[in-house]
Amino acid sequence: MVNGYLAETLQEALAIRARENVVPYSGGTDLMIEPDEEATYLFIHKIPELKTINEDPEYLRIGAACTFTELLEDARVPGILKDAVAQIAAPAIRNLGTVGGNICNGSPKADSALILFATDAKLRLASTRGERTIPISEFYLGRKKTALQPDELLIEILMSNTGLSNYYYKKVGARNALAISRVSFAGILQVEGGKIINCMTAFGAISDVIIRHKEIDALLVGKTLDEAKTVKKVYLGAYDQAIAPIKGRISAEYRKTVCMNLLRDFLETNGI
Amino acid sequence: MEKISQSTKKKDHEEKISGRALYVDDHVMEDMLHGRLLRSVKAKARLVDIILPDLPSGYFVVDKNDVTGVNRVHIVLDDTPVYAEDTVEYVGEPILMVVGPEMKEVERILNAIVVVYEEQEPILDMRAAETVFFHYNYAKGDIETAFKEADRVFVETFQTGYQEQAYLETQGIIAYPHNGRMTVRGSMQCPYYVHGAIAKALGCKNQDVQVVQDVTGGGFGGKEAFPSILACQVAVAAQKANKPVKVIFERREDMEFTSKRHPSISTYKVAVKSGEITAMDIEVLFNSGAYTTLSPVVLQRGLICASGVYRIENLRVTGRAVKTNTVPTGAYRGFGAPQTFFAVEMMMDHIATALGVDSLELKERCMVKQGDATSTSGKYHFHVPLPEMVARIDQLADYRAKRKNYQHQTGRYRKGIGLSIFFHGCGFTGSGERDIIKAVAKLRKNADDTVEVLASNTDIGQGLKTTFCKIVADTLGIPYEQVLIENPDTDRVPDSGPTVASRSLMTVGGLLQRAAVRLKQEWKSGEVQVIEERFVEPDFVIPFNLKEFRGDAYPTYSWSVNAIEVEVDILTATTKILGAWGIFDVGVPIDLNIIQGQMQGGLLQGIGYASMEQMDYNDQGIIRNNSFSDYIIPTAVDVPHLVTEILNNPYTHGPYGAKGAGELPLVGAAPAYVEAVENALSVSIHKIPFTPEDTMRVLQEANQ
Repeated sequence: MVNGYLAETLQEALAIRARENVVPYSGGTDLMIEPDEEATYLFIHKIPELKTINEDPEYLRIGAACTFTELLEDARVPGILKDAVAQIAAPAIRNLGTVGGNICNGSPKADSALILFATDAKLRLASTRGERTIPISEFYLGRKKTALQPDELLIEILMSNTGLSNYYYKKVGARNALAISRVSFAGILQVEGGKIINCMTAFGAISDVIIRHKEIDALLVGKTLDEAKTVKKVYLGAYDQAIAPIKGRISAEYRKTVCMNLLRDFLETNGI
Repeated sequence: MEKISQSTKKKDHEEKISGRALYVDDHVMEDMLHGRLLRSVKAKARLVDIILPDLPSGYFVVDKNDVTGVNRVHIVLDDTPVYAEDTVEYVGEPILMVVGPEMKEVERILNAIVVVYEEQEPILDMRAAETVFFHYNYAKGDIETAFKEADRVFVETFQTGYQEQAYLETQGIIAYPHNGRMTVRGSMQCPYYVHGAIAKALGCKNQDVQVVQDVTGGGFGGKEAFPSILACQVAVAAQKANKPVKVIFERREDMEFTSKRHPSISTYKVAVKSGEITAMDIEVLFNSGAYTTLSPVVLQRGLICASGVYRIENLRVTGRAVKTNTVPTGAYRGFGAPQTFFAVEMMMDHIATALGVDSLELKERCMVKQGDATSTSGKYHFHVPLPEMVARIDQLADYRAKRKNYQHQTGRYRKGIGLSIFFHGCGFTGSGERDIIKAVAKLRKNADDTVEVLASNTDIGQGLKTTFCKIVADTLGIPYEQVLIENPDTDRVPDSGPTVASRSLMTVGGLLQRAAVRLKQEWKSGEVQVIEERFVEPDFVIPFNLKEFRGDAYPTYSWSVNAIEVEVDILTATTKILGAWGIFDVGVPIDLNIIQGQMQGGLLQGIGYASMEQMDYNDQGIIRNNSFSDYIIPTAVDVPHLVTEILNNPYTHGPYGAKGAGELPLVGAAPAYVEAVENALSVSIHKIPFTPEDTMRVLQEANQ
């Protein structure tokens, strides 16, 4: 027997969330493998506001309860996110699993979250007390720990509308389907008028949270590709210092090597 | 294609596809209790004390003191306790079972039990083992002279790891006492193995035990001996409670504590003179785990295959299966052969590289042919179709050209192709079929002229119900629908032996064909008739003598050549499989769809064994890869280009020309895969699974 509420509007869902200790349940693909008989679930997969994808001048606004399949089928979703989502699990899970669930599960191995880190996406959180929009990097506090308050729901993901077309993405899983990331890397390099105007990278599955070092990436910003070559060594050296994968089933050494190989390849394929 | 090979709708198709098929966990009996095992958390310890909480009414604790017969599970040597006695020998060894009406309460009681251990130093590494469970030797020719006269001597050591069967349905048994008898039903390959084990553990007469196989969701060897152990534990519990008791393993429990493939270490010393291999001196070590279970027979098959498909005039093979304080290993598709075939194929490859020839060229020069002696001085009595198989695989995979092109690559993605040549000995090893199994099978013609197959062999997904019925229907010349078959029930079927060793169709199918021939001759419409057939060893067989390890270990062999093509990404050290090709001679296929399913599944399972299926214990003897997220098996998208072809090579003594099929496709995948990785990276590899972490290590070594 499962206890729960099936919310039909966001307002209703937030009211229940404010009133009671409930577990938000969207696609359920992470929750259903460890069912908790004591828990009360708040089913949010039918709330229209959470199921839409909208565009405004600045952002692509993705409803948190959009499934991976829905993202893949929407022409406005950027290629970097689609590449990652297409490699999540298998069709049945992609048909159910949602981007919001992937984020709120709090795992550093979440494949869509990696892309949102690498693109400096923002999250819109709501409660009956009001709303707030925060960078995704502030949402992740630690392993399985997020900034989501007990009365809040993640309702929307805001991705930049521009500057994401030149990307690099690689997921290293144990096989070609139904594989949890062992290492994942995403990078974006925006070059305009011969100069790097933005560099964003993120590393997944190697630490308690996804790794994003803006200060290191800033080393390349404002430089031409040739100038970037002169700081390449410093840049890679800084990441070599910064990346210290935690030990897991797969050795830290292996994951470190893959991270550095992919980072170097990201630069080299961009002519740096 | 022969007429019999044309595919038929499987006998169990409707019930499985509609979801009506009942597996053991689907059965709920009145007053049924649920059981769960309390297992040792120490790899080696003396049990000092077991402190039980107060038990609520209706709940029982079942242990060694409740075993009314012998506290040993009958397998081969009968050393596995039903429940632990004074010591525990591996992490996970069952100490007792808690049974009761509510699983939650059973779990609460389990958690409240305190076991006081006096820890002892466990032996986990097979190289450090002190107890040798089994030791066999055999030799032929003059090995000393061959090594003395050799131009070059090569010595290499190869390692293989665990492999978990990962059947879809976990182990499960229900036992219930009634009218002075004990009935046991569940997921199993070998009802009569379970039957014999229960009679011994309960100390009752054989006729007081009934064993019924339920629809079984895969076995791959994992349900050969293990269900005997679980069935004894559950039957003892049911006897004590005097109620039905059901035990179904959870996935983690199943992965961690049931038998899996023996890890191995094999050392090959090979003499070469004038570019030809003149002698092999082979030492094989298998990790048996804490108890013997099926290790003697697994080791025997491994040793028989140690020299591969090659004519080695001077040969010495010695093998040991040793005790460690780890989970007992056992049967898994291939049964000892995948370990030594990996070693010998890699050894041939490495010698070829050292001699400056391609491995296939060296292999082709030494391949056996009809009339040649086997490793154990038996004889390959029938046509060996390896040359045409090699030719066909070269045609399909473009093997030789690719192999040459892929040498010395640079760049991020590097391709490689590898090839393996191997056999699988059909049926029981040695004289087991003649001396131990003595199979009996029956046909019963009912008054309505339907014919029922009565045999103890189980359909575990391999399609045996279908193939048995096809043979009988075709031989009798009656419609397939007129032939019936049920899951075996020992009250109704004779002991036609276990469902193992790629024997069921060849051996028992042969008995059914003979029975059908007789029934056809004696057919009396409207009357009940029962025809029985018994196993007779074919005349041509050179009797196998286990003591001397000499003679025909198998009446015939199934043959295969595999090629696998890979692409290694040197940045991530991951390997993509571009193609896998297998040519298989299983005699005449009794159903082409079924055979294709077997060949594809087995080849994929072998690729998993070679590449990603990694399982190991830590320094406490605990296996940590106990779930499907930590123990990775390949999926269909991991080998999108999988080509399996059948070569028709009828076996004169098999039904419709059929011989062993089930195990063959797993046996040679690993060496083909690893040879491909070697080809891509220009390195020598000595172990499986060869994982991305291993690949990264060799890439880094090559860089230094």
